[in-house]
Amino acid sequence: MKRLLDDPHMRPLLILAACVVGLAVIDARDVLTLATAASSFETFATIGLVALGLGLTMMIREFDLSVVGMYSMAGCIAVVMGGTNAWLGLACALAAGLVGGLAQGWLIVRLRLGSVGVTLGGLLVFAGVAYVVTENRALPYENMEVALGLSAPVAGIFSIRSLVAIAVFAAAALVIGLTRYGRDIIAIGSDRRAAMTAGVNVNALVIGIFGFSGVCAALSGALLSYSLASASPAGLSDVIVPAAAAAILGGVSLAGGTGRPLGIAMGVLSLAVLRAGFNAVGAPPYVNEVAMGAILLIVAMLDGAYLTRRLHGLVRWRAH
Amino acid sequence: MSQSAQPPISDRRLVAPVQEGTSARAGEPRNYVGIVRAVVLVVLAAVALTTPGFLSQPSILSLLTTVSFIGCVAVGMTLITISGNIMSFALGALVGATAMVFIVAANWGGFAFGLIAALAFAGLTNALQGFLIGWLRANPIIVSIAALALIYGVAEAFAAHGTIYAAAGANYGGFKGRVAGIPVEFAVFLCVTALAQFILSLTPFGRHLFLIGSSFRAAEAVGVRAWRAITGAYLWAGLFTAPAGIMLAIRYDAASMNYGMGYEYEAIAAVLVGGTVIKGGEGSVLRTLAGAIIIGVIQVVLVLQGLRTEWQYLIAGLIVLGVIALQTPGTRD
Repeated sequence: MKRLLDDPHMRPLLILAACVVGLAVIDARDVLTLATAASSFETFATIGLVALGLGLTMMIREFDLSVVGMYSMAGCIAVVMGGTNAWLGLACALAAGLVGGLAQGWLIVRLRLGSVGVTLGGLLVFAGVAYVVTENRALPYENMEVALGLSAPVAGIFSIRSLVAIAVFAAAALVIGLTRYGRDIIAIGSDRRAAMTAGVNVNALVIGIFGFSGVCAALSGALLSYSLASASPAGLSDVIVPAAAAAILGGVSLAGGTGRPLGIAMGVLSLAVLRAGFNAVGAPPYVNEVAMGAILLIVAMLDGAYLTRRLHGLVRWRAH
Repeated sequence: MSQSAQPPISDRRLVAPVQEGTSARAGEPRNYVGIVRAVVLVVLAAVALTTPGFLSQPSILSLLTTVSFIGCVAVGMTLITISGNIMSFALGALVGATAMVFIVAANWGGFAFGLIAALAFAGLTNALQGFLIGWLRANPIIVSIAALALIYGVAEAFAAHGTIYAAAGANYGGFKGRVAGIPVEFAVFLCVTALAQFILSLTPFGRHLFLIGSSFRAAEAVGVRAWRAITGAYLWAGLFTAPAGIMLAIRYDAASMNYGMGYEYEAIAAVLVGGTVIKGGEGSVLRTLAGAIIIGVIQVVLVLQGLRTEWQYLIAGLIVLGVIALQTPGTRD
């Protein structure tokens, strides 16, 4: 079991299957419906891209804390700039995400700083920009056509928002699976010095991944604000927990060097199914939070570097 | 880069420690960063002192009070950072939960019982995380994020996102005034800082923490029981964080999970601005005290200069980013 859970390709599948089967056992009639599937994909759209960007930074042994701030800043920028033309707002939000992400990556590489520190500063700055552009209030988004269009069901269970997220995941999976970037990312995450010696352009790739992470967070933040038809600088801040959880469940290790976009997608889907399923069976909202925390804690324990050693120690101790 | 195996035990330089031998690139003047740091601090001091109203008593008192809540959390965070575990995302949630435990327990069994229950709750919750991190070598970021979700989830189950109020008869008025001219909150913060610095500098446990933070394997190789020290670090971090929750509960005669929201970010900002190294193995609680006060001063100056709230957030963020960029050169591996 532990070996299967350690395999970064099998773990996300196993966890997703466990979530679906577990919920189906509780109440198959309410859980296995199209409505649950649709609501899962809506959650997927909300946290998926953030998890993808964060997961990629974790794969190269960094950690992009700033996604929280970027998420709400992009939503605010999109709503402020996109009043008449939604595309203009989206473009501004994405540009802000790209510039913010690249700037952080540049600081990390150029000044040789730890990513937690730099992205913590980035988080505070982005949150500050969100307060400034909204002048510290919650803004409504008047363009209801866009708001309704983004969440309108497509083919029963999807929406434009979730299709966008799925498309970005597919593109990332293709690029990482088929080009040399995928191997370079794994190489950087496993041993940065060796990767550099082997001729990988480490600095450019690190900057690029932080840029990508910024764009991902900005895209999902902007689309979420459009579909909610409002933006607030204070809201949206609890996205880091599900995003990090999804990346970990998806087989990304904070030690770097493992993980795939498809795995991350699977991790996001597990959490999304869990949330939608608990809603469907009518469980109170805290059940989802406790379940997510418990799953994350169990995975962290199973991932513990000393787990095997400690278990052997306990067995020997009992034999005495 | 040179990471000394011996902890900097008597490190009393408050704010501008030039990290010997860790300049960003070979050939760059080593004290370049130190000079910029000093200039920034002098400019900040000059701006603060020339800001009308900064030196008034109400302004100073409110500065000291607001700094204290974040400060206690930051002191706890410092122990976690020094022990090589980066940061805990759960300390903000712990503040809110501790405030709730305090109010519930104090309503049931009196003030002293509330204190004991709150401290025990915060210490044990954190020690459990430290045990998993130290004994199993589970990832500290993931464990703390899991703890964050669990604390919020359980609190929601008990209080349904509501506020818990102190019983009508409870009177905490004595804890809202001043001691020897300074706010009670700041006095508590100073005591917490002193105790933490004593533990870090003068006990074997403190020395072990620095050693573990520098190199976990080296610490184990010389026979340190690393899991005990890490569990201890989290236990103390919980005990140092608890006063923030208790003092907030006393101040408002109530408790809710909103109290500690975002404190983990502000606390780690204070730790980093103070100059404790994010990698671990180096730093001090006194630096964190300085970091917390620097951030507090920046915020007060921005208010007094008449900037609107939203600009304060942005400028404070930019300054924290700038200070982090200046204060942790070459700390990546």
